[in-house]
Amino acid sequence: MANPRKGVLLASIAASLAAGIFLSSGCRDKPDRAPSASTRSATPRPAAVAAPLGFLDESGLAPAGEGGTLRRRLSGDPATLNAVMQSGLPEQEVLQYVSRNLLDLDSQMKVVPGLARFTVSPDGRTFLFTLRDDAVWEDGTPVRAADAVFTIRSIVDPKIPSPVFRSVFDGLLSVYATGEKTFTVRFRETYAYRSMSFVLPLLPERRFAKKHFLSAPDNRAPFSNGPYRFVSWKPQQEIVLERNPRAWGERGHFDRIVFRILPEDSVAYRSLLAGNLEETRLDSTGKGRAAQDPEFAACCRLVEYFDLGWNYIALNNRSPLFADARVRRALTMLLDRAAIVRNLFQGSARILSGPWAPDSAVYDATVSPLRFDPAGAASLLDAAGWRDSNGNGVRDRGGREFAFDLLVSTGTTAGRQIDETFAAELARAGIRATIRPVEWAAFSERVDAGDFEAASLAWSASDPNPDPYPFWHSSQWPPHGLNSEFYKNADADRLMEEARAEQDESRRTAIYHRLHRIFRDDAPVIFVATSSQKFGFSRRVRGLVTSPLGMFGIWPGPLGWWPAGEEGGPAARPPSSPSPVLR
Amino acid sequence: MTRYIARRLAFAVPTLAGIVVLVFALLHLAPGSPVSALGEGSGRRVSQQAAHEMQRLYGLDRPLPERFARWISRVARLDFGESFVDHRPVLARIGEALPYTLVLNGLALLLTLAIAVPLGVAAGGRPEGSLDRASSAILFALYSLPAFWAALLLQTLFSVKLRWLPLYGVASDLPEGGAAGFLDRASHLVLPVLCLTYGSLAFFARLIRSSVAETRNADYVLAARARGLSRRQALWKHAFRNALIPLVTLLGLVLPGLLSGSVIIERIFAWPGLGRLYFDSILSRDYPVILALSLLGAVSTLVLTLVADIASAVADPRVRDGSIS
Repeated sequence: MANPRKGVLLASIAASLAAGIFLSSGCRDKPDRAPSASTRSATPRPAAVAAPLGFLDESGLAPAGEGGTLRRRLSGDPATLNAVMQSGLPEQEVLQYVSRNLLDLDSQMKVVPGLARFTVSPDGRTFLFTLRDDAVWEDGTPVRAADAVFTIRSIVDPKIPSPVFRSVFDGLLSVYATGEKTFTVRFRETYAYRSMSFVLPLLPERRFAKKHFLSAPDNRAPFSNGPYRFVSWKPQQEIVLERNPRAWGERGHFDRIVFRILPEDSVAYRSLLAGNLEETRLDSTGKGRAAQDPEFAACCRLVEYFDLGWNYIALNNRSPLFADARVRRALTMLLDRAAIVRNLFQGSARILSGPWAPDSAVYDATVSPLRFDPAGAASLLDAAGWRDSNGNGVRDRGGREFAFDLLVSTGTTAGRQIDETFAAELARAGIRATIRPVEWAAFSERVDAGDFEAASLAWSASDPNPDPYPFWHSSQWPPHGLNSEFYKNADADRLMEEARAEQDESRRTAIYHRLHRIFRDDAPVIFVATSSQKFGFSRRVRGLVTSPLGMFGIWPGPLGWWPAGEEGGPAARPPSSPSPVLR
Repeated sequence: MTRYIARRLAFAVPTLAGIVVLVFALLHLAPGSPVSALGEGSGRRVSQQAAHEMQRLYGLDRPLPERFARWISRVARLDFGESFVDHRPVLARIGEALPYTLVLNGLALLLTLAIAVPLGVAAGGRPEGSLDRASSAILFALYSLPAFWAALLLQTLFSVKLRWLPLYGVASDLPEGGAAGFLDRASHLVLPVLCLTYGSLAFFARLIRSSVAETRNADYVLAARARGLSRRQALWKHAFRNALIPLVTLLGLVLPGLLSGSVIIERIFAWPGLGRLYFDSILSRDYPVILALSLLGAVSTLVLTLVADIASAVADPRVRDGSIS
């Protein structure tokens, strides 16, 4: 529960389900040192520079071990193991082992073939897919075009909840098989990022025949077409997978995968130390503890990297308080982001100037963030008419005081701390912000409805789709879309429309760079920072690769991990000095 | 006696109805919905269209009275519906978690009573004696230790450092049969049972102590002593038996707790019980599961307090004839 990314986050849709990287396709900063090598730089980067720091790539190492059990942690019980109905990370982390995607994302965020190859018609609306000849289900029957058609039709069926995939198939015209292994998908419009929709696992059609889709037995025991197959699921306890003897294509290096369902971070950490777990996510506190814990250094290593997630403070652009871009800019200038990076994130964070993480392909590193400048902010506020006319210490305009509620989800600690820093700075500038912690379901309901003045949020990590349209275009105001801040700028609207129809990548990136500057100056929200993701890993596991999409949502991702010797065996002995990530 | 029971039953029915209506209304009027609850921690933002479709699918677009009528008519046929989260029957989910919670809480209650009864009687036998003072200091110290903190300390000591006991879970990876399997399961119970026990000790021991202390100078106890019974016999056979009456009432209130589970202990020890199910269901606004669990709690509380009332009426004629309540 300590995962700080609990804000409303981008639909991570396709990408987060992706299962793969082609390891040969060149990852950044390949270490040429021995196994425990890491490339994590310990230097804080307060500036918004898209530097490739923090990437770990052990894919170049030849696997020195095979077999055994990999014990991973899930923070909650999956709701389902039906690929179409999945809604959260636990589902994705398990399904990645048993279900191959039609297309995959590699560690460079590029779409690569998975179960299928594809071609696109010149108008960009028609996709022709060809499934791999050798792709089979765990009983040896081939994966057929009918399975893909069934899967996509299930996603768009309003009687089936498909919270993750539903929106990526908006505008679907038709999907039909053209042969045993070929099928065609047609869309109403051209969309630059359409291919990412197909980072999609398939369901076996015949196993759902004559069954109620929502309660089919396969939802609890998925039928595999991947490197592993399902063995058992004890609710709230564990999920066990084993090698699929009929696996085609790439195979994993462990014989069994056990997912332990452990809701408490501190217990997962103890479990890692006790040697009955190979990985767990750490929050900032957990990282601090691990870095000073000799027991941790003896058995484990810290893996830390930046992904595509970022924190921000949403402002309701329709509110009389925040309708003026000068005011929003002033608020950004009142937030001392360098201090947040330094103190709150202990240096492992980067300041943002726009609605993408610095590692996003479209981030323009030349757009510098607004500076922390209380004096400049004060004059902007004065110019916008917000002055303290009655001398009570709070600015006012037309009889209304500059005071508002700042919502924050109770589940996030980082968001809460950012808010406290911000509120203190605002108070000095004559603005009163009251922090209101709200439980997640209630919080996200208010945010999605646009029913708030300011709210502390985080953007999702694992979606490489940089398209800002669903979140910032004025046609997407609630209740139609997810532009919950009610941002509107005619120039930005036009650029967003152009970009999503633009098929040429470099021209598209140029449009996004123009947009980036508009976002910085309009400050529709306060862009805060992107902070690092932190994991504790047993030294018994090697072959880790991190990417801006995280370690899990890529191909082969966790399937490329391998066992470095038996527990307690020579290969598992800690090196004499802890790995550089610890320092 | 029959009239007494009938009167209690007549009160139970409107109470139950009140609870059901209240829980349903509170739940559905609380902010948030099963759709808005999605995405916590996973970073997914559900598109507005998908959200509307899901609301419709779960019937959440219908007016509240209609939803209530539909739910209550199904419940009357003992059909609690399907979970919004995994679409399995609610009763299957509860049935899965119930045995784990019963075992854990049942053992904890037995252990509590096994310690609290002799301790309470001994302390009540000599109020303000050295045993009374020492036990009250220790019990209150234990009572004030937060369970999550104690649980983590015990885990660090016994599971990480000494490696005597398993860290969490209900059984080891490859469960063995027979005696070894039983021992394995028992060892998984030690820490959670301990954590659930130490806090409630004070509660029970102090209650028994005070009622024993009250009855120990009663005429019939003095008479028993005058008849030549030893202090010990008088205490256990006469003072303690009468002191049991408030304990029976208390048990009526405590036993339903066997079903409710402990959220904190179940989370820390990754125990797949009802407490976790309830907690997760509330966070995910899984209305059918929350309603069924609330109903289960309400019914078992009503039934067991009824049983306790009847039991104390049987034990104490003054309750039967209404001279005390």
